[in-house]
Amino acid sequence: MRWPTLFSLALFGTGSLVATAAAKKTPPEERFNVYHAKALASAPVKLSDPSYRELTSSSRDYTVAVLLTAMESRYGCQLCREFQPEWELLARSWTSGDKKGESRLVFGTLDFGDGKDIFMSLGLQTAPVLFLFPPTVGPHATASPEPVRYDFTSGSQAAELVHSWVARHLPDRPHPPIKRPINWMRWISTFVVLSGGLTVSYAAWPYVLPIIQNRTVWAAITLISILLFTSGHMFNQIRNVPYVAGDGRGGISYFASGFQSQYGLETQIVAAMYGVLALSGISLAIKVPRMSDPKMQGVALLAWASVLFVVYSLLLSIFRGKNPGYPFSLPPFM
Amino acid sequence: MSADPLQVLASAGKGESTRGLLRVIILLLIAAAAIASRLFSVIRFESIIHEFDPWFNFRATKYLVANGFYNFWDWFDDRTWHPLGRVTGGTLYPGLMVTSGIIYHALRALTIPVDIRNICVLLAPACSGLTAVATYLLTNEMTPSPSAGLLAALFMGIAPGYISRSVAGSYDNEAIAIFLLVFTFYLWIKALKQGSMLWGALCALFYGYMVASWGGYAFITCLLPLHAFVLICMGRYSTRLYVSYTTWYALGTLASMQIPFVGFLPVKTSEHMPALGIFGFLQLLAFLDYVRAAMPSRQFQTFLWMFAGGTFGLSLLGLVLATSAGVIAPWGGRFYSLWDTSYAKIHIPIIASVSEHQPTAWPAFFFDLNMLIWLFPVGVYLCFQELADEHVFIVVYAVFGSYFAGVMVRLMLTLTPVVCVAAAIAVSTLLDTYLRAKLPKPEEIQAAEASEGKKGAKSGLKSTSKPVVGVYAIWGKSMMVSALAVYLLIFVLHCTWVTSNAYSSPSVVLASRLPDGSQHIIDDYREAYQWLRQNTREDAKIMSWWDYGYQIGGMADRPTLVDNNTWNNTHIATVGKAMSSSEEVSYPIMRQHEVDYVLVVFGGLLGYSGDDINKFLWMVRIAEGIWPEEISERSFFTPRGEYRVDGEATEAMKNSLMYKMSYYNYNNLFPPGKAMDRMRNSLLPEVGPTLSTLDEAFTSENWIIRIYKVKDLDNLGRDHTSAAAFDRGHKKAKKASKKRGPRRLRVD
Repeated sequence: MRWPTLFSLALFGTGSLVATAAAKKTPPEERFNVYHAKALASAPVKLSDPSYRELTSSSRDYTVAVLLTAMESRYGCQLCREFQPEWELLARSWTSGDKKGESRLVFGTLDFGDGKDIFMSLGLQTAPVLFLFPPTVGPHATASPEPVRYDFTSGSQAAELVHSWVARHLPDRPHPPIKRPINWMRWISTFVVLSGGLTVSYAAWPYVLPIIQNRTVWAAITLISILLFTSGHMFNQIRNVPYVAGDGRGGISYFASGFQSQYGLETQIVAAMYGVLALSGISLAIKVPRMSDPKMQGVALLAWASVLFVVYSLLLSIFRGKNPGYPFSLPPFM
Repeated sequence: MSADPLQVLASAGKGESTRGLLRVIILLLIAAAAIASRLFSVIRFESIIHEFDPWFNFRATKYLVANGFYNFWDWFDDRTWHPLGRVTGGTLYPGLMVTSGIIYHALRALTIPVDIRNICVLLAPACSGLTAVATYLLTNEMTPSPSAGLLAALFMGIAPGYISRSVAGSYDNEAIAIFLLVFTFYLWIKALKQGSMLWGALCALFYGYMVASWGGYAFITCLLPLHAFVLICMGRYSTRLYVSYTTWYALGTLASMQIPFVGFLPVKTSEHMPALGIFGFLQLLAFLDYVRAAMPSRQFQTFLWMFAGGTFGLSLLGLVLATSAGVIAPWGGRFYSLWDTSYAKIHIPIIASVSEHQPTAWPAFFFDLNMLIWLFPVGVYLCFQELADEHVFIVVYAVFGSYFAGVMVRLMLTLTPVVCVAAAIAVSTLLDTYLRAKLPKPEEIQAAEASEGKKGAKSGLKSTSKPVVGVYAIWGKSMMVSALAVYLLIFVLHCTWVTSNAYSSPSVVLASRLPDGSQHIIDDYREAYQWLRQNTREDAKIMSWWDYGYQIGGMADRPTLVDNNTWNNTHIATVGKAMSSSEEVSYPIMRQHEVDYVLVVFGGLLGYSGDDINKFLWMVRIAEGIWPEEISERSFFTPRGEYRVDGEATEAMKNSLMYKMSYYNYNNLFPPGKAMDRMRNSLLPEVGPTLSTLDEAFTSENWIIRIYKVKDLDNLGRDHTSAAAFDRGHKKAKKASKKRGPRRLRVD
């Protein structure tokens, strides 16, 4: 989300801030008509340095919503790329729902590549930023000409949320609703996949049926899902925890410190340990007493019992790492 | 001949009646151990109600005992949610209070003088003894080995996953609900096995009791249909299933609808729909079964297809119509957050703010279940050996329960019973195998192999296709048994340690250790609540964050604005707004709600983490959800995205009422410039905040609780800021004189 490279890049940009500052002054109505026509052709309007200045120059009788973004992949702005389709959807459905321009709102996008100076002059260090410039003249004029800023604190936003934010700032004006286009490709592909799947399963039914009715398969599925859930997989899903993290000295730390946190790899290690423990438990309970050769049985018994003992000891020691006050341990990992 | 002592010992348990007696004694001892391990808090502190929700339950129980059942049923509580009030009788699960009320009156009738508080404190441990017995019964339905049941009872009795919600003093719905949950499951299995209407009706009865006690009844409502559905999919439809399920559903739904809080939800909301759907599906299956018996098979084929297609289409149409017409409500918020795990975070911050609704990290599983967590899959696998109807139940419950426990910490409670049952099956199988003194003989094995070979590999699991031989080596047996004994010993020690260290703190009274190792009790909460009780008017309204609402109601007996029954998000957001806005904004809000005192919890002096500054962001978030223009979470973070309370705190933070109330006068405790917040480890600004609309009324010994009195309107009609500035001896700012226009006549 942070975008540290921006400022340094901007410093190397041309110092033409002063040169372009004097934009042409045209009456606001005309300006709105020009940009509204552009928006009707393709919303949001792609802005550049001068057009941004022109559009947002004071004495406006219209509102401008500008997204300042950095789409180029070298800036690595994940959020920008996530939000862009939502933003385009919002701009398109608003503009096409308001062809006459009654809401007097223009949507624009300014990419960092096209307007480094603007970013510099606004002192922006992060992207994306959404500004809403209220009108300064006309019936909807507000007291302060300063733009309102939208917060992207909680990650990428759906178009509906931004829509309601924009609508809140434009009272007494029409608010064309968002129309999500029907994703025909998805429908078609779902249909194709579904019918294909049905055909295949119909053809393969005699071969699939024994697998579906196989108890061992179901036992495996059950045990794997239990191991996943009890090793904190859902926590990873919900909290989006990192897979591993550095330990600050260039190495990898496999286990998060603290009782309430964990890494992706950590849960996999724990799940594997639970799995080994359960497997040795199953072997000791079912397999070993069914072996008819006494010698083999002795070896298997000794092997599984020691695996159980050592892995349990390791598990206890890992748990002690998570919870430093924990007093219990087993050899060899004391 | 003189009896060999070993022989006597070995033959002592042979007789059936001796075994029965031993079993009863062992069960009683287990129940006693379960109760005893929950008494840490009573011994260490005193017989006191814990935490937050129990205080409301306690207050409601006192009301029930004092005013009788019918008054309790119609109770309108005007001392909470001021000025709205709460229809308490219709918005609670009365099972818990009614249970304690009945116990109270029964003991009184037996002329045993007992305080209602002690009943409430000890109800949860007593129920845990019953839970252990219910687990024993449930496990006995699963396996022929009688030791499994005893082991399950023992595990259930001391597993920290269950103790966490049932220590003495934790007088909450879960206290009796887990017993009811396990017992309902036992009755269900019994009904299903026998196809008996009587057991089904008993199951419905206890299901009704469960509905009356805990919102978690939805777990049963979803699990039993799921079990039935899986059985049908496995081709195990039978009249036993039909009789038991329909009896349970019809009677149980009727019983659940008697609770005012539940009312018509069972036929309206989506979480009850699976039960209804399976009920209908079973009727169809029974009908088809009947038709098949009466019709030639070819006609039946045609009939089946038309019937199935028609029913499916009709029900789909009906479902779509009912949902779009709004007859069937969408999923309840709490329930929905279990499936779409990001739902709550976006839409209902108040649900996300509760710590027990967080997902579970793996250490929590190990902490609460210790070795049971890896014995659990072993037991589930063993259930696949035979896979009768009741084993399917364990498998379904295991998967379902572990998913929910992974999503929400609190639901560890519903997972614990099945973990105990499965782990007990595993341990008892191991013990039965390795404790058998008889050595296998080769002739017997060959005979067994021969007979097994004839039967063929009919059993489903590949690993159980060979016959059981037994273990040859005595050293192997003794090694395994001693290792198991060590694991079990560690389990008991672990459970005791966890219970004593983690789950036995009342959180109303805090304990700390002095340097010499002796225990020091921090009793600020009760000190402050007692102060409120003694020094304020009977109807003085207290504003605090909702966490403390029940405690203020229960201990201080004063009306509150919001409490832990978070039914009205807007009202909570109002309090959040008052706390997170500046004094000029907050004062009118407080006046409008007739607030007399404001209570905040401050942990800066003691380093107490559960204080209001740490919860503050939730107040801001919840307020922002209602007033996005006025409150913004971002303005409480510095430009670098930090949440700070020291000199670099944002303006919004420094001006917020919460910040001012927390740190007011705090720097006077320290030498100038040395004021330190020990919780957040930050140095506070030299000049502390000033308050103009509130007066400090009370601060507890360790500054944990601070109470402020809301000032009345100024006598001279000034606004509070200038009045306070005047009192502090500041001259009026020059601006004021500049602003003075021509003199006007006062018209008010």
